[in-house]
Amino acid sequence: MSNYALVIIIVVYLAVLFYIAFIAEKKRQSKWVNNPYVFTLSLAVYCSAWTYYGSVGIAANSGINFLPIYLGPVIAAPLWIVVLRKIIRISKQHKISSIADFISLRYGNNRFLGALVTAICLIGTLPYISLQLKAVSETFEIMSDDTSYISTSIIDDSTFYVALLLAIFATFFGTQNTDASEKHKGIIASVAFESILKLLFFLVIGIYATYYLFDGTSDIYNKILAITDLKPLTTIGSLEEGFNWAFTMGLSFMAIFLLPRQFQVSVLENNREKHLKQAIWMFPLYLLLFNVFVIFIAWAGKLTFGNTQNAEYFTLFLPLKQGHSFLATLVFLGGFSAVISMVIVSTLALSTMVSNNLIIPYGFLDKFIKNQPERNSKYIKNIRRISIFSIIIVAYFFYVSFSKELSLYAIGLISFTIISQLAPSFFIGLYWNRGSARAAIIGMIVGVAIVLYTLVLPFTLDAFTGSDSFTELGIFGVEALKPYELFGLDFLSPPAHAFFWSISFNLLCYLVFSLIYKGNYRERNYAEMYVDSKNFTTLQDRVLVWKGEAYVNDIKNVLIRFLGENKANRALNIFFTKYKLPQDTQLADARLINFSEKLLTGSIGSASAKILIASVVKEEQISLVEVLKILEESKENIVNNKILIEKSQELSQLSSQLKQANKDLIVKDRQKDEFLDTVAHELKTPITGIRAATELLMDEDDDMPKDMKQQFLKNILQDSDRLGRLINNILDFEKLETGRLNLDMSRQDIHVTITKAISSLKQIAAKKEVRIINKNQHHFYLHYDEDRILQVLTNLLSNALKFCEPKRGEIVVDYKLGNQFLEISVSDNGKGIPEEDHDYIFDKFYQSQHQNTIKPQGSGLGLAITKQIVEKHHGKIWAKKGLKNGASLVFKLPFK
Amino acid sequence: MKKRHEQKLIVLSVALFLVFNIPFVLIFNVDGHLFGIPYFYVLIFSTWLLSVVISFIVLKRHYE
Repeated sequence: MSNYALVIIIVVYLAVLFYIAFIAEKKRQSKWVNNPYVFTLSLAVYCSAWTYYGSVGIAANSGINFLPIYLGPVIAAPLWIVVLRKIIRISKQHKISSIADFISLRYGNNRFLGALVTAICLIGTLPYISLQLKAVSETFEIMSDDTSYISTSIIDDSTFYVALLLAIFATFFGTQNTDASEKHKGIIASVAFESILKLLFFLVIGIYATYYLFDGTSDIYNKILAITDLKPLTTIGSLEEGFNWAFTMGLSFMAIFLLPRQFQVSVLENNREKHLKQAIWMFPLYLLLFNVFVIFIAWAGKLTFGNTQNAEYFTLFLPLKQGHSFLATLVFLGGFSAVISMVIVSTLALSTMVSNNLIIPYGFLDKFIKNQPERNSKYIKNIRRISIFSIIIVAYFFYVSFSKELSLYAIGLISFTIISQLAPSFFIGLYWNRGSARAAIIGMIVGVAIVLYTLVLPFTLDAFTGSDSFTELGIFGVEALKPYELFGLDFLSPPAHAFFWSISFNLLCYLVFSLIYKGNYRERNYAEMYVDSKNFTTLQDRVLVWKGEAYVNDIKNVLIRFLGENKANRALNIFFTKYKLPQDTQLADARLINFSEKLLTGSIGSASAKILIASVVKEEQISLVEVLKILEESKENIVNNKILIEKSQELSQLSSQLKQANKDLIVKDRQKDEFLDTVAHELKTPITGIRAATELLMDEDDDMPKDMKQQFLKNILQDSDRLGRLINNILDFEKLETGRLNLDMSRQDIHVTITKAISSLKQIAAKKEVRIINKNQHHFYLHYDEDRILQVLTNLLSNALKFCEPKRGEIVVDYKLGNQFLEISVSDNGKGIPEEDHDYIFDKFYQSQHQNTIKPQGSGLGLAITKQIVEKHHGKIWAKKGLKNGASLVFKLPFK
Repeated sequence: MKKRHEQKLIVLSVALFLVFNIPFVLIFNVDGHLFGIPYFYVLIFSTWLLSVVISFIVLKRHYE
């Protein structure tokens, strides 16, 4: 295939990607763009040309060693549910824009640390990008000239043009928005698309190699067994190999968290935490599918070509040999997809880091403060674009100088080892609040230095001086410092060896220096925030402790510089509304400081944001102890507030209950007073009568006729009786109320009792000419206290009598059997019970307001006593409602 | 996701870490093949697949 055809295919493909990204940006909110599958596929940016081509190379030459690069992420994935979720939450809360931001924020927004992390990421990622360029260039060669693999000057040009093309594509797409915390949905969509393609084409070539070129897996196995000893390729042969295997797995475990492109897609571009639910199982599955056919492609290649030279590109050579150039083109496009997605996302992440943590804090801040917002925004965009462009071009030169000697695999491992120096401060910082900035810096520098000495320096010197005396003899001839065998440790492969020493020293320095040197109060503040992130989400803007003097206007000016007048004003309005402050507040507090810093973080990174805000406010130094104290207080306050609100709700409930009880008491008190009045009155009348009659009788002068004397004596008797009755009533009632009354239960005949009651009132009824009818003549036996029920009946009958009209009055006593109850009714055709009294007649002391006599009849206790007696028998008493004339009182007694 | 279910995933991770490392992984050093796939690969891939299935089940049941 000619060069030009290939270039056209590439351009068309890039156009398709561009289109997908464009559509995805347009439809930012649609389900096609925001779903867990797109998220998981975007994580597959982990699989670059190294996976696509490098794995086959390793599998062919040294067997199983290609696997641990994927086993690390497989081990890491289930941990995402705790670790990655925590990282995502912290990042969202603080509008983190890169891994450098994340780490530097943890250690007190330390500017130098941010720059150091950026530098490490740059040094680590550049080789990786050049690896991709190497893959593109070599595959391009293979495709365009399918018989030989000799580099000519055209190749350099084409790689350069490819690099250029990539640079332009990446530049354009990555920098639409100045606010780096805006999601790049378009890029993520196209990365997801590429992930599908690269997996698909790799599986296709795998199936092709296994089932088309050969007769399946067994066939390949048997054939390869015939020509090589498979043992070294399919087992871990020795302890050394085991160590290498373990260390490579450790490397990849860290890489899946720390690689700038992984941090970008898994943390910064994450939309919803819920997407983790699919990602945790789907991502390892993706990696599994990618790796199933690797050994078979490798062996198919070995069988076809006889040797494993250029094994990395077997996926291309195999179809090309059979003349299936269409398939080869597909494979090429798959590899190209892998390259593009890796380069785009990495350069995006790196440029943000470079801009926010290297260039702006160390160069441009002064300029920004003085400038207009539009120009600032343009400056930031340009800085980012220039960064992307330069990174790719520098990677190209790295490729030209070094990549010819090293395999894809070796370069990749160097890159991973450098990036893994971020691990101690990153992971331990998440869980240990004592980790300090100084320790992180020292650890990282030591680690990187060791990696450079043991891994990078050897091949660099070799490339430039051609001699390997450094490797053989160590620096200045000191044997203990031989770069591949530090201190005599000679059984590890160079990358494992470098990883072991660098991480060990890095970790040790980090731990030891954290213990020796205490961080300053600001560091500790952020440390608490990270380690305890669950509790701190409730504190929000109060999480950062700040004391000092600041004015809203000064802060507003800074915000206007970067966000423009409209956005700045709107943001401040939102802030004031949220915390219920007046719009013209003059003094700024800690919350406004935090809020403003976060607003600026998106554009210029957290370190620069902090510097800018700090430049317009006056902060007081506070001690570490005070910071912790204030944090504790804030936390306590929130908890206390909740408790206070609950308590106050309880209190208001209690208080309304008390009010009600008070009202009831007042009513009862009034009733008691009325009762006392009535009782006193009632008592007075018979006493007066007795007194008067006695006086008259004592008067011997008067010649009173005998029957008059008899009459008076009778009156005295009657009145005494009345007194006695009244007092008995009151005593009875008191006994009933306090529950001291005992019922004398025995088996009685209700008919007999009713007859007794009626006969006791016969006289009075006759006097009033009222008829009492005992309707039911059946005998019925049940258990009750006869005296008391007699009292009840007497009371009901006398009430009925009281309210009946003379001559016309008629009282009917009746009873009927119900379900486990005997219902007895006393009905009359008298005045009836007035509507408003109906519910109250059984209340003690209640007197109807509507009695026709001026003097109330009775003490008001009769019905109350009756009710008590009935209820003590476990019965019920009530007045029938809705009667047209007269009243009917019914009570029921239980029987077994 | 409740903490006690998260712990299931953490234990899965620890288990994988142990299984994939020496000396445990040396158990996979078996000669021979299963349908042309060397046993080492079969065992590694099976463990890999099993971890995917276990994660899937745990997440499906307990992630609300």
